[in-house]
Amino acid sequence: MFAFGPSDYSAIFVSVKVAVVATLISLPLAFTVAYCMTFKRFKGMLVLDVLVNLPLTLPPVVIGYLLLMLLGQNGWIGTWLLQPLGIRIIFTWKAAVIATMVVGFPLMVRAIRTNMEAIDRRLVDASRLLGAGCLDSIFTIIVPLCFRGLIAGSLLMFARGLGEFGATIIVAGNIPGVTQTIPLAIYDYVSSPNREVMAMALCCVSITISVVVLIVHEWLGKRMGRRA
Amino acid sequence: MVMKYRCMRLLPILASLVLIAMPVRAEEINLFAAASMRDTVDALCDAFAEINPAATFQKNYGASGILAKQIENGAPADVYISANTKWMDYLKGKKMVNAASIAVIAYNELVFVGMPELQVSDLKDIVTLERIAIGSPMSVPAGQYAMEALKKSGIDQQLHNRLVMARDVRECLMYAEMGEVEGAFVYMTDAKQMAKKTRVFFVVPQELYSRVTYPVALTASGCAKSSAAAFLDYLRTPAAQKIFALFGFTDK
Repeated sequence: MFAFGPSDYSAIFVSVKVAVVATLISLPLAFTVAYCMTFKRFKGMLVLDVLVNLPLTLPPVVIGYLLLMLLGQNGWIGTWLLQPLGIRIIFTWKAAVIATMVVGFPLMVRAIRTNMEAIDRRLVDASRLLGAGCLDSIFTIIVPLCFRGLIAGSLLMFARGLGEFGATIIVAGNIPGVTQTIPLAIYDYVSSPNREVMAMALCCVSITISVVVLIVHEWLGKRMGRRA
Repeated sequence: MVMKYRCMRLLPILASLVLIAMPVRAEEINLFAAASMRDTVDALCDAFAEINPAATFQKNYGASGILAKQIENGAPADVYISANTKWMDYLKGKKMVNAASIAVIAYNELVFVGMPELQVSDLKDIVTLERIAIGSPMSVPAGQYAMEALKKSGIDQQLHNRLVMARDVRECLMYAEMGEVEGAFVYMTDAKQMAKKTRVFFVVPQELYSRVTYPVALTASGCAKSSAAAFLDYLRTPAAQKIFALFGFTDK
């Protein structure tokens, strides 16, 4: 009925690769932001809050365009930093990672924050009183207690990353074998007459991965809920 | 409650007002045209509207394959202009266009554009480039012609992983203009009309790809509209051919 070609397999691989890398890089960043927003009081909290959550409400195409303006060959960062260093980001898989990170970041921060806010402050205070340093307290008290949020946030971002289309097509382009992810490949098939079968096949792959991620999410949630 | 009833009583009056207010609609022609024809078709429509003031246009531009797919799925098109014969034949096969109305209105050439400072003079030179934009061959005719030329000259494998697939030929040109790709395959007309920062390195030799042909046809709904048929006839008049020539298309 249908047979996946090398470019289809690579689309699946690129999708997973981009989502995994984006999630791993975002994890420490999102944790730091969530930590600051939960435990610290500082000026400009609202600004940070809005900035972090902005990608949630902005159309991904806008994000893509802004990233292009920043990182492009004639962009602000592109001209002054990337070009002199000989770094190329636009139209590489790194651009797809950056786009995914920006788009998925609010989801991750939210998941971690919800969990962090439920932590009993007295536990943190007690650890400090008992002589633990700030970092020590973070890694022995906060990280274990919001582990569930970290996992949930990572899974959410991974899932969002797999589906990222709007920002990705603008900054990473559509290069089969390099930056073409599952959604981009599907888009290519869907916009062509007589390629519906392939589009459907890739949709099935996409659905399968999403279902697996959601099942893992539920299962982990239940398992950890029992332990807590 | 009183307010509500008053509104209810007003409803039929409002409805009839809306109906009366609807103007006698001029016959609207739904035009689906290849992206490379955008400015040309805009000019043609304006010129046609001058002769036939009653005619108005609803235009939809995009890759010919994407348009063919939209028409196949029931999009409201009266006139379809494709940048290759493949998608026109496809719709003919699906009985979505009137076979008798199909006519070729223009021809074009494929060129390679890029940043002026690069040293590129023929197809063999482009293997040194890092990123090249072409229309997605699955739906964009400019990409199909380009892929045909690359295959025939035997360099398609070397360029594997370096081809950025654009949604239509204008996007190809935009990528090159922004400097995000070193070069792009576009039509001569696009380069002539829109290229500001890029220059044409070479014209792709005609023996490497099938001729860029623009066929036009009426769809089933288009056949029922006299103005759509009139527009089709207009496209073959000397006045219209002059506009095609103005934008760089050839008629032979």
